[in-house]
Parts: sequence; structure tokens; C-alpha cells
Amino acid sequence: MTTTAKKHKREDVAVMAHLLRRAGFGATCDQIDQYLDRGYEETVEYLLNPVAGKPEDEDLMDRYFIASVEARSVTHADPQWSWRLATSEKPLEEKIALFWHSLLAVGGIKLDHGLEMLTEIELFRRVGLGKFQTILSEISRNPGMMYWLDNQNSHKDAPNENYGRELLELFSMGIDDMGEGAYTEEDVKTAARAFTGWASKPTPPPFLLGPFPMEFRFDESDHDNNDKLFLGETGNFGGEEIIDIVVKQRATARFIAMRLYLFFVSDEPDNEEIERLTDIFQETDGDIRAILRSLFNSDHFKSEAVRFRKVKSPAELVFGTARLTDRFDIPDMDSSTLANQSMYMGQFLLNPPGVEGWHEGEEWVDSGSLIERINFAASELARVESPGVSRMVELVEQAGEALDPSEFVEACLDAMGSIDIDTDSKSVLIDHAAKRSSTETDGADRIVEMFQLIVSTPDYQYC
Amino acid sequence: MPLENFAYSHTIGIASFLGRGFMNPVDMRLDSKGILFVLSRSNAANQDVRVSVQTLDSEYMYEFGRWGTDPGQTTQPTAIALDADDRVFVTDEFMHNVSIFDRDGKFIERWGEFGTGDGQFNRPSGIAFDSEGNVHIVDHLNARVQKLAPDGSFISSFGTFGTEAGQFNFPWGISVDAEDGIWIADWRNDRVQRFTPDGEFVSVLGSSGQNDGEFDRPSGVHVASDGAVFVVDWRNDRVQVFGQDGSHSETLVGDATLSKWSQEFLDVNPEQASWRDGAGLLEQEKLFWRPSAVETSEDGLVLIADSCRHRIQIYSRIPALASV
Repeated sequence: MTTTAKKHKREDVAVMAHLLRRAGFGATCDQIDQYLDRGYEETVEYLLNPVAGKPEDEDLMDRYFIASVEARSVTHADPQWSWRLATSEKPLEEKIALFWHSLLAVGGIKLDHGLEMLTEIELFRRVGLGKFQTILSEISRNPGMMYWLDNQNSHKDAPNENYGRELLELFSMGIDDMGEGAYTEEDVKTAARAFTGWASKPTPPPFLLGPFPMEFRFDESDHDNNDKLFLGETGNFGGEEIIDIVVKQRATARFIAMRLYLFFVSDEPDNEEIERLTDIFQETDGDIRAILRSLFNSDHFKSEAVRFRKVKSPAELVFGTARLTDRFDIPDMDSSTLANQSMYMGQFLLNPPGVEGWHEGEEWVDSGSLIERINFAASELARVESPGVSRMVELVEQAGEALDPSEFVEACLDAMGSIDIDTDSKSVLIDHAAKRSSTETDGADRIVEMFQLIVSTPDYQYC
Repeated sequence: MPLENFAYSHTIGIASFLGRGFMNPVDMRLDSKGILFVLSRSNAANQDVRVSVQTLDSEYMYEFGRWGTDPGQTTQPTAIALDADDRVFVTDEFMHNVSIFDRDGKFIERWGEFGTGDGQFNRPSGIAFDSEGNVHIVDHLNARVQKLAPDGSFISSFGTFGTEAGQFNFPWGISVDAEDGIWIADWRNDRVQRFTPDGEFVSVLGSSGQNDGEFDRPSGVHVASDGAVFVVDWRNDRVQVFGQDGSHSETLVGDATLSKWSQEFLDVNPEQASWRDGAGLLEQEKLFWRPSAVETSEDGLVLIADSCRHRIQIYSRIPALASV
């Protein structure tokens, strides 16, 4: 029995671990213990209300990776977000940034401005748990987004429909399986007209002096000030009014509820729960924090039926595993390259593949990425000198000296943060443990080997 | 505000991944002939690190110490110093050592390894020589300054981690003055500390803040031969100048013009020149962005490594300051 299991009911531990995997990137046994002492609902509130402000160690990150301060490219910017993802004590702040980064996607390669990509992530940290109207309003003023979707080429005499179309199709109202949305082609054209004059100021290329921060620009003289008919309403709408109308739509509420459900709960949609979340969206004027509060506190979310039913994204796998080792106390070369590991597995952070973001769920895993995932996780868990692995070994050792193979495997799963695996996988691990008596090898080696086997199971690919 | 004790002279540099130009220059030193050795840090993962050598008239000469872990290579170089024989010493925070090259960039040897013992380092940063040829190295995660003989043998060290007088919190830059007094940019304590040649605490300069005499993570300190003290106020994007008594004299925030290399680039890339002109950022272009080190010459030049703008801004001193 681990420390956690001794202090708290096994089911409570499992539910808390589940929350921390979904609202963050997982947690160590000791962290789960601390959160359980706080209580489930209080933990939800803690996660939903991160203290505003930059982390105290931002100066260290800037010092050791000075090129990321003026990040000219995505690869120059990566060390900054890697560090936050691996170490932030505000895990939901990073998780919601990851959510919006994929939903309101800006591609780093086209933008070619790492500094602006980091600014966009900071935007999501700042407003990502707020009202959806605010989020849409801010992203529509985000110079990177304006550039990414060509709005600088949208003029009152020749509107470019790109932003108007993606705003409706991919960012808010969505389309059904037949490719139909609850809006018309005319609504797309009208939205485009309303956003004419919204653009980013030109910045000099970084060839001479590195990048300059991008800024939003509204050009009144290039804005279509005529009356417009949009989703049944008429007026001299600008971008803000378009957003206000969009956010009121039931289709928008359902689209965002669906995306939140798929990201935080399960890869398989549950229509009843999504309808409930849709109602909350409309009752709260699109308050993302209120929706997530209800989602995390629901019996549906806590139920065993949705645990380990989401394929971990590469970022979840990489940073969740890195956090388990608890080995990053100061920025270094290893921390700076964690984002590369995610890229090798198919998720190039700060550079989503297109305006649709990443296709999640089962699509994350193919034979190539699976090998990358297993190799990375197994190599991380082999770091017995790291505080996290060392502590997990200690917890298994504390569970008892004469554990039978089944108890030994359970102790290892508990020590890794209440991981659950299916019966078949567990049988294989128990058989392996039975063949490796504790006299064959050093106890710590045997435990670490079991950790490595656990992260190599198909089950570890789920959260 | 017009400068009183300095006149902007010119700028050297252009962002460049190799050869002519710099990528995040974090430190620089002049050799005995007035040739400038600039250390580009970049990001370790982007492998653009190097020492590049050029005249103050922007005549590029050669480079060495590029990215890697083999002898003669550097990975996360932090600071550079030249001894009386113009041998080039480069500290490396990744390899926890000091690489030594001759003036032509030929690798000679390297000292140190990771550890807490004498002659071992945990992320060595600032480096400077005293009048006897001993080298003083800020061993920053060990929160101490080590003094090594010209042959690399350990002589002494001082400092512990903390916020009290004589203690350090992630120290970075170092300067040894004309009397072999030691000055340390005590980075995370937002102050500069002055010590005797034996490491005895003398005084502290500055505190946290943005006003004159206050610092936000000072990265470098440089004491000119006449005693003027230059503090690189890293996160305030400025350089403050003080007298030996700690009195604030002047603040530099950057006055850059196009370097010769940048002008040549724009001359052959007119579309780039057009974009630059249209961006309306010419005033902003002048300013320092995370300056990290200062060097001075005997003939009154002040060089500032403007690390996030990939250039060295150069000022000339108006002689009156020499009396401070």
C-alpha cells in the first residue's frame, strides 16, 4: 500500500488522478495526496482560478535561452513553452492554452514569427478560461491570426472571406457531418465585410535585427461601413458585433461544448452530456470557466466509464511523463528540447498543421509515433536519479518487502500516480514480475524495469 | 534626453547564423590590438554559437568555437575574456568548463568539469583576469567566484548562496578593476557587489527597481580603467553608469543606427529596405533589447552587447566623465 492509498480511499485517489490528467498533465502520487487533502471540488476551483501573472522563473528561462526572448522562429520559441508545460504549477492554464491553440489555430511556419506565437499562447493563458466572446474578440485582434488568415488582404472593396469563413466554420458555429453549417454563404461574406480593415501592422523581416512584436491595426478607411444582414440581424456591423451575434447562437454553444467534451472528457462524444454543457454555455453567456466547473464536477466526468478513454496527445504524453520524473528544476538543454519529442510524435507545438488544428483521438497514434512514444516514456522512467522516479521507487519499497507479483504490479501502478491498465496488460506484467524474483536483480532496478514496462503498455497511451 | 558624458558612435553587427554577424551576442572583449572578439550564444538547439572576430570598422576576420561538445567547440557559451597574451577564454554553461583558444582560434585546452569541488563548475558564467594573470570565474549555480592561476590550478574561492552581503543569487557578470578589486553582477539579487582582491565584501550597489541606481536582473558589470562603473541593467534594457562611490552618472538606452553590414544587406535587398521604412519602427530600432555586457577601450570607446538585436552598439566617452 502506498502512502496515498493509506490516507485516502482508492476510488477517491482514482478520481483525483483522473481530474489531474485531464485538467493538467497528470500528477505524482504525492501531488495527488496533497490535492486530496484539499478536496475534489476545492481542487477544481484551484485549477480553474490560477493566480494571474508570469511565473517567478521566467527570468531564468530568458537568461538560459536568450534567443527565445526574441524568438524569430517557432524552434527558437519552443524552449519557452516547453518549460512552462513541464513545470507550471498552474496546469489548467497551460492545458486550456493547448486547447485553444488547436481550436483557434495559427500556423507558426507561415507566420514565421516565434515571438508572436508565444504572444498568442500568452493570450490563451490570460483569457482562455473566460468568456468565449472575449476569447473570440481577442483572437480576432491577434495580429498573428489576422496575418495567418490573410485579413490584411481584406479590403472594403474586395473582402477576403478567409477569416469570416473560418470564424464561423472552425472557430464557433461549426458544420455537421454533411459539411453544412447553421449559417449561409451570405453570412460568411457578410462576416468578411465586417472584418475589413482589421489587420496586423507590417513588421520588418527579422534578417537584420531579429523580430519586432506584431501589433493589431484597424484601418477605418478600409472598413466596410454599410449595413449588413447577418444571421437574421441587420445593422452596420463591425467585427465585434459579428462576434456578439455568433456567440449567441445555439450552434456556437454546442460546437464549443462538443470541443471541450472531446478535449477534456472522452474521444467518444456523449450527446446528453454535450447538450447539458451547451445549456450551461448559453445560461452563462459562454463562460468557459463555468462550463468546465460543471464538467469536472459532474458524475459523468468522474465515472469510470470515461477514465482512460482519451488517447494522450503527444504533448500530454511528453509533458505528463516529464512531470512524473520531476527532474526539471532549472531550464536546461533537456527541457528546451521536450517540444521536439512532441514533434517527433506528430504534434509540432506552435505550428499546428493547418487552420483546423490537430486531428485528435486515435489519429495521434500510428506505428511510427507509437515507437517514439514508448521509447521516450521508457527512457524517462529509466532516470532513477531523478527526484520523481526515485520517489516512486521509494513508494513501491514502502508498500512492503514480500509483495507477490500481483501486489508488486499494483504498487508500481499506484506509485506512478494511480495508473489503471486493463486485465490483459496487467496479466502480462504480473507474469513478468513472477519470472523476475527480487533476488535476481537489485530491487530498484526491478521496480524501474516495471515502470518502463508500464509506460510501454497500450494503456499508458490513454489518459 | 541628450547624453552628457557619451556620444553615440556607430554599431557593428547583423543577425547571422554564421560568418559575418552575430546571433544573440552575450559578451565581447577587445584584444591587445583593438580587435573585437564577440561571443554569440543563440539557442543551444539552434547551433549558431561561435566566437567571431572583427575590427571596430566592421571588417570581418574569422570565427571559431562553433557548436558541439568536442574539444574546440562550445554548446552554451556565456562569457569571454582575453589574457595578456590574447589567449581567448570562453565559459560554457552546458559543459561546465572553460575552453581556451589562441588568438587565431586554435584550440589549446579546456579546464573544469561539473561539480562543486575546487576547479569544478556548475554553469560557469562571467570571467575576467586580474593584473597577475589569474582568472576569476563566476561559478554561478555554485554561488561562488573561483580564482585560478594562469595554468588553471585552483587558488581560492569565495561566496555562498543567499541574499546577505557577500552572498550570491545566480550571479552572472564580473569585472576586475585596476586595483584588482572584484565586481560581481549579482543577477537575481538585483545588485552589484564589490569585493577586495581576496574576496572580502566591500560594498553593494543598487537594489530592485526601475529608477536610477536600481536594477532588474543586472547581467554585467564593467569597471573602466578610470574607475567608471558600467552596470548592464538587463531586464530594464539599459546600461547605467556610476562613479566609484556609487553615484549615478548617466543611463544609456540605445541609439543604434544601421551597421555597415546591415546597410550593405539593405542595399542589395531593396524590398527589405522598403518593408523596414514602412514599418514605422525606426525609433524603436535604436533601443537596447536585453543588453548583456560592456567593454571599454583605452581610447574612450564603450561597447555594449545588444544581445536580442544581434549587434554591438558603440559610444565614445566625453573626457569629463574620467573625473568621476
